[in-house]
Amino acid sequence: MKSLKKEYPLHIMLIPGVIVTLIYAYGPMAGLVMAFQQFEPLSGFFKSDFVGLDNFRYVFNLPDFKQVLWNTLVIAIIKMVLSLLVPLILALLLNEITKKWFAGFIQSAIFLPFFLSWTVLGGVIIELFSLNGPINGLISSIGLEPIMFMLDNGWFRGIIIGSDVWKGMGYNMIIMLAAITGINATLYEAAEVDGAGKWKQMLNITLPGIAPIIILLSVLGLGGILNAGFEQILIMYNPTVYAGADIIDTFVYRLGMFSQQFGPAAAVGLFKSVISLFMVSTTYYAAYKFNNYRIF
Amino acid sequence: MNKIRPWKMILAVTMILSLLSACGSQGNGNANAPTTPKEDATNSATDNATPPDPLGKYAETVTVTEVLGYNPPEDPRTPSGITPEQNAYLKDLKEMMNIEVKYKWTVPSAQFEQKFSLAMASGDLPDVIEVDQKTYEKLKKQDMLADLTEAYDQYASPALKAYMDSDGGFAMKTFSADGKQLGIPAFEDPFLSTQLLWIRQDWLNNLGLQAPKTIDELEKVAQAFTNNDPDQNGKNDTYGIAMQKSLFFWGFDVRGFFNGFGAFPSVGDNQSAWIKGSDDKLLPGLIQPEVKTALGKLQQWYKDGIIDKEFALKDENKAVEDLTAGKVGISYGEWWYPNWPLNSSVDKDPKADWIAIQLPGIDGPAKSLVPKIRSNKIFVVNKKMKNPEAAIKMLNFYIEVGNKKYKDKNQAADGYVYNWFNPRIANPADIDTIYTEVNKALDANQTEITIDDANYKTVADTFKATKDFLAGDTTNASKGVNWGQYYSRAAKDGGWGLTRQIKENQQFVYNEFYGLPTATVVEKGGQLDKLMQESFTKIIMGGSIDDFDKFVDSWKALGGNQIIDEVNEWYSTEATK
Repeated sequence: MKSLKKEYPLHIMLIPGVIVTLIYAYGPMAGLVMAFQQFEPLSGFFKSDFVGLDNFRYVFNLPDFKQVLWNTLVIAIIKMVLSLLVPLILALLLNEITKKWFAGFIQSAIFLPFFLSWTVLGGVIIELFSLNGPINGLISSIGLEPIMFMLDNGWFRGIIIGSDVWKGMGYNMIIMLAAITGINATLYEAAEVDGAGKWKQMLNITLPGIAPIIILLSVLGLGGILNAGFEQILIMYNPTVYAGADIIDTFVYRLGMFSQQFGPAAAVGLFKSVISLFMVSTTYYAAYKFNNYRIF
Repeated sequence: MNKIRPWKMILAVTMILSLLSACGSQGNGNANAPTTPKEDATNSATDNATPPDPLGKYAETVTVTEVLGYNPPEDPRTPSGITPEQNAYLKDLKEMMNIEVKYKWTVPSAQFEQKFSLAMASGDLPDVIEVDQKTYEKLKKQDMLADLTEAYDQYASPALKAYMDSDGGFAMKTFSADGKQLGIPAFEDPFLSTQLLWIRQDWLNNLGLQAPKTIDELEKVAQAFTNNDPDQNGKNDTYGIAMQKSLFFWGFDVRGFFNGFGAFPSVGDNQSAWIKGSDDKLLPGLIQPEVKTALGKLQQWYKDGIIDKEFALKDENKAVEDLTAGKVGISYGEWWYPNWPLNSSVDKDPKADWIAIQLPGIDGPAKSLVPKIRSNKIFVVNKKMKNPEAAIKMLNFYIEVGNKKYKDKNQAADGYVYNWFNPRIANPADIDTIYTEVNKALDANQTEITIDDANYKTVADTFKATKDFLAGDTTNASKGVNWGQYYSRAAKDGGWGLTRQIKENQQFVYNEFYGLPTATVVEKGGQLDKLMQESFTKIIMGGSIDDFDKFVDSWKALGGNQIIDEVNEWYSTEATK
């Protein structure tokens, strides 16, 4: 109680945030009731008929659902792993650059695509990889056959993942760089005295030093295990690559928005949230159990 | 100019709001209710002894809010930066009828479907709405639609009634139930959907070729267009036939190509078309063996480079870019192509000379698929609305201002943007009236058209463009724009001219199904779409042609068989044969 008294201005400062969260995160949860209804928009939540788990049964029995779920998992997991690994490597490399202005320049250049919207970037990427685009220009100039990247399942998935990692890597990199700067400099001095080279320093000081951040990012990342990048895929895909790139979100989008089947769409949303909650809890627990590390 | 646009492009919704606002079942406290008068004085028309005036003025302002999905104004003379709120038609409506329109939201039409879905999901339904058949069916099922029988009987102007009776009341009947008129359909001549082949005569001349009559001839022409430098610029930068990722769409697609093989897969909405089988049953055109043959040919053309290698990535805008840039010389489509986008092609390259020909078939010109009814725009009124007749009056208003006496007033340059005004119904025989009247005036060498009714404006516009084009006068509009109006609507060998001949010579096949989407289509349509798009695109791009048989099996299993039953059930009970 004592501490509460002392910290009450801080708690007051929390209130606006809590209110916003209540209104925009908890409030809409009431809408989840749609997942169990034969939802008719004009009748609303109160007059629509309840149908139990019919919506879930309907969605899971759709012939494409398995494939769509599989695509989602594959794309999301590879994206997740790479968007930890790539920024980590970049952060470690950048940390070794001693010229301040150069490091700053590279950092900004890497961060920049993060601010572009997929609507713009998607179009750019389609053009880049098109049959008459610069990449195929390069390929033909060394005498190889041009490749229809955007119409080939294998290539397309690669482009989706690659461009997403490229676009987002700046963000995690900045977080990791910040964590690296937070490491006590005396540790490095001591290590140098003990004769550890750059490599040893990185393995034994830098990495353990930013491990909490890496774990934090993975836990948060796992929450998005079923988010394979709706916006990006919606803008870039086409019927020929449905087999490899149609994900739950795009699938539900076609289902919900264009067939106006709100009930099944809500059911999938709820399904995704439950999986996310499960993944976040498990990793959180695992991090605590095996590493004795707690985020909160 | 009253260009009838492809249905997908027209997505606009009107909303009239009088005594209600924030009426959604969720009761959002958003009480931005417009000031609304008591309507007792004017709304008692039903008890009134004097017949109501279709164009009468309300004693007190009836405030109307609308939602709108808009395209840019079509006329280049429209003042730039004008917003839908500033549309001069609204000012006139207020003056003439004391109906005030307010927009709740307006979005570019491409975003309309999504925005409207959201508005529906939140129960925020306007009073007067422009809907498509699917939405109509939904609203009807939920008993949200006002009965317009009385309002229509009492208030519809003679001109509106004449339009609605022009097909013997067929369309009106489709949108009524239990003797109640639930919607006013803006239907059009179904032959507007007739497929033609647009081809560049100047390219044919350059290569010394004849306009093709059969698929084989077309193939030779298309190959020459691809390989023999038809534009004679010394570069290998052209290909044969325009195509885009949606195979059955409202334009730049391959509906006409399939028709050439006696295959009738779709009228353009990705759902199957229905043709009459031998035993008086309806067959889904999408899964007939002719479709397989046509796909095989398309696959070969893809391999030969006659169609764009990356068509599966391109939407209609990309196809249009290629057409106007002079990269492609053949496209399947409807009568309106000269009006857009071929007019831009002509403006860009004055040598471009597009002609329309009947679809090449296996052994000679082939029949086009035509729907029995063309109506994807229905005006409905929310049950909660207090003044349903206001919607009818607004329809009267729009027809009325087409008359000659308003001619000098309703100029695009003064901010009149017709395609933003809703509800709006055009003469279903609009195009044919234009064709006959303009040709009558041309043949008699008149300098003015003689017609003086609600069709005046549309006929006069085309006549002016035709005169200008024939005289080479470009003071009012560019050569392409004038040619576009002339060649789409008035030329005897042009878009509508050829369509008329096709109609007269019975060179068409009806899509026999004109009912509302069946239950299974509503539920499974999306999946069947996906299946079709995926299978067909893959076959064209070099997949095994026998995958078509697999497609047919899956289509049937995924709901196709149910749809066949439902459609035939409808055919035996409800269809007017």
